[in-house]
Amino acid sequence: MVLVLMLSVGALFAREGEKGVLLSDADITRRFEERRQSVIASSIAALDPADLTKGGHYDVAACLQRGEKREAALARLAKILAVKADGNMFWMFPMVTLMMAGDQGLDDPSRARFAELWRTYWPSRGDTENHWVLYYSSLYLAAQTYPGAGPEKWFNGKSSAENMAESRSYLEHWLEVTTSFGQGEYDSPNYLEEYATGLALLSGWAQDAAFRQRAHLMLDYIFYDYAVETLDGYYGGAHSRVYPRQIIAPGLTPSMALGWLLFGFGERQPNGTVQILALSGYTPPPILERIARDRAQPYVERELKRTRWRLRNAGPESFVIGDKRTIPVYKYSYVDQDFILGSTQGGLLQPIQQQTWNLIWRTDRPAAKAANTFFGVQPYSSPLEGTMFFGADWDTVTNLIARSKADYDTPDKLPSGSPFEQVYQHGPALVALYDIPPGTRFPLVTMFFSRDLTHTEEDASGWIFAQGGPVYIAYRPFAAGEWKPNDWTGLLAHGAGGFISTDFAKWGSGHRCYVSPALKNGYVVQVAPARAFASYEAFKAAVRALPLTFSTATQPEATFTSLDGTVIHARYGATPTVNGQPVDFASWPLFESPFGHATRGSQQLEIAHGAERLLLDFTHNVRQESAVPAQP
Amino acid sequence: MSSRLSRFLVLALVAGLATAPAAPVSRFYAAVSMTKAQKNSPTPLDSGLYLRQADGQWANFGPRILGVTSLVASPVNPATLLLASSDGVVRTTDGGKTWRKTTGWEVADVRAIVFDHANPAHAYAATAWGPLRSTDGGASWQLAQQGLSRLYCQTIIADAASGGHVLLGTEDGVYVSRDGAVTWARTAFPAVSVLRLAESAADPKLLLAGTQGRGAWLSRDGGQSWTAADPGSATANLYAAAISPHAATQLAVGGWEIGVRVSADGGRTWADRTAGLPAKNVFVLAFDPDVKGRLWASTFEEGTYYSDDLGRTWHDGGLYGAYAFDLVFLPPAP
Repeated sequence: MVLVLMLSVGALFAREGEKGVLLSDADITRRFEERRQSVIASSIAALDPADLTKGGHYDVAACLQRGEKREAALARLAKILAVKADGNMFWMFPMVTLMMAGDQGLDDPSRARFAELWRTYWPSRGDTENHWVLYYSSLYLAAQTYPGAGPEKWFNGKSSAENMAESRSYLEHWLEVTTSFGQGEYDSPNYLEEYATGLALLSGWAQDAAFRQRAHLMLDYIFYDYAVETLDGYYGGAHSRVYPRQIIAPGLTPSMALGWLLFGFGERQPNGTVQILALSGYTPPPILERIARDRAQPYVERELKRTRWRLRNAGPESFVIGDKRTIPVYKYSYVDQDFILGSTQGGLLQPIQQQTWNLIWRTDRPAAKAANTFFGVQPYSSPLEGTMFFGADWDTVTNLIARSKADYDTPDKLPSGSPFEQVYQHGPALVALYDIPPGTRFPLVTMFFSRDLTHTEEDASGWIFAQGGPVYIAYRPFAAGEWKPNDWTGLLAHGAGGFISTDFAKWGSGHRCYVSPALKNGYVVQVAPARAFASYEAFKAAVRALPLTFSTATQPEATFTSLDGTVIHARYGATPTVNGQPVDFASWPLFESPFGHATRGSQQLEIAHGAERLLLDFTHNVRQESAVPAQP
Repeated sequence: MSSRLSRFLVLALVAGLATAPAAPVSRFYAAVSMTKAQKNSPTPLDSGLYLRQADGQWANFGPRILGVTSLVASPVNPATLLLASSDGVVRTTDGGKTWRKTTGWEVADVRAIVFDHANPAHAYAATAWGPLRSTDGGASWQLAQQGLSRLYCQTIIADAASGGHVLLGTEDGVYVSRDGAVTWARTAFPAVSVLRLAESAADPKLLLAGTQGRGAWLSRDGGQSWTAADPGSATANLYAAAISPHAATQLAVGGWEIGVRVSADGGRTWADRTAGLPAKNVFVLAFDPDVKGRLWASTFEEGTYYSDDLGRTWHDGGLYGAYAFDLVFLPPAP
């Protein structure tokens, strides 16, 4: 591990952020530490010695780590460990958290019980990227606890040394692929917490200093990825995976809970990863909060991600990393002080839960009630998608997916990728085109209109206008549709899908969708901050005057001149152009914005704020802070 | 699965076991996921191997791992078993008392696994990410991808009569290796996903393949050439294929919404034998090596059944709620 601190730069750039938040290193670090300590304190308080049926894994871990309520914690732990092990990789990390954070407080019976469980319970590895990161980070630390233990001590018949080697090999591979080609399960408001959990455990307790450093670097990396696309903690831009509740209510996400701990956004929400992070001792570099809060100037964030590995039906556009096939995901987000409009290129980028594009806006509503989002979707489900990403059989894969993702095979689904959708965005304007073959299961194009929108108007010009908080929205469908209530099948309202529709009445009701059945279809979305116009009427007038031509007769096609004068031309199946120039996808950067830069294959991310720099260099396992003179 | 039956029968005959007067000698396993009861969950209620008991009941056997799809026994040491699972290959050398995962993180979603009976130290596996080969009885594994256009595969058989002759069912048809899965070459098979391969013990040149959307295919020359076998299932997704170890004339295929179809004349004519089953979705078929003429069929979540008259009548064989991936008969425990 090498830490090069060239200058204590934060103090040089301390200034007041929005809402009077002090942004010096010292203030940021002090506030973070206060939040972290409050998490631990409330965890300890949650364990009631008089009622040992209560208190979760992390509450017990906090007590043991701090040496408080030890007898009660051990008694509660005995009850926890007496329960039959279940949950596979999701069983592993709570156990490891207890073993690591609570290490100094454990007694001999609990240590013996842990050892027995690791010998007898076989937690399966799962099949997603987050499963594997959780599995191997947990296995690495568990094996580290029993140095020299032979194969007979482990569920999988491998020695501690073998388990550590396998775990580290996978995690190093994951780090290399992610920092070279982008994350597969990218920018998920839900699964961000799984990656944070695994990395926090390693960052906090891996005995190998170099490996601990790599985990710390990667935590910084994924939190930068979040910070640069957040608005008050809401995770903006396109997402690889998002659940129905989260897509409608972006405040009800684990990323929002993390946003509170990491950057002080919003109110604290109960969240296990927040507890694990607090216990791990991880402290984010102050530059991340400065970036998360700095929305003084609008900016474009471009990121390169990749699809989940495609095991079959990979398509001619796929390419190989190692021996796995994937295709690039081109992310583009326009970040304004009042909104984020973000997108990917469309297509099947992820199984089940993709959100190809969305808009979120700044809101004063409580996070639990806010539905500050607007997006479109082509609701698609098919065995082609399922077998592309899963090892299941053609005739059962859709059925099995719907066992846990109940909305997957319904026409009113909201998260979905589609092979018949192509999206291009430039600035706060977006063009989406659809060419849906006859016979497609759900031949629809759906636009979600949140209950938080106001002044929704169907204009005689063909535009539909609406206002979301401080943002004006203009939406121009290319084909007629009809208004429907969201969840028109009633699936979620009636409780299908378990936790994904819990409390539906609170977040799921009162919205509606504009649904078009035209197979050849498309639309334009133009967004603008209300502050840029004298009135809503002025915005509408400006949009009505924008040049727009489109055709859906053969290949859907549109040419749109946006509010800033940019001419966007998109034709289904062809490379879009901006002001006559084809978009250069080939040189799309891994990260690029005023706040960060990473080139494809580099394994390096340079984070920037003003003249401040933080280099995360995975090739040398170095975290380098520096300040460079501001450019004239 | 069929190939294992065949090999076992051959071994049994060679060893004189076929003349033993005792009741069934085989260990009969089902590799299943209990998906019927899977509600609001991404994982089944149970997953792993079930071993059929003397009383006809099924009991858990081996580790409970997600995505257990098959099992195979060493031809030279029946106590050595290789289990195929989503976690990788898991091996026991003591008949199931202890198990060890013998693959690393690179291996996942193992769909089928076989020993090379003509070269018993060699074993091969088909995974969703490409085939594997082992030269030490499954103790370690190497990727075996050379010559493949696409890596996805879910069925593999090894020629019991010719060491190193391996056939692999991929998403791009059937590939063949003559060097123990070191290199692969495409056979004259349609460019279609191959879901199940079966070989005959009585006639090693006779092979049967079930495909996705293109029905059943037969080869009578060890896989060099193939012909469409059954017009009645020509567009079906056939997940199951089996050839009787007792008679190469008895063939069976099964699949989604096609039920069970059988041939009693070596594939010249076929008949629907679905009547009597509770569902038309069949994922595994296996001829019983211990009971001549007995055919087992496992439906999607609606139970496993057997027939002693080539499918004219069916009897309840248990495993209700299971999504079976394989039915495996292995030599008796040592």
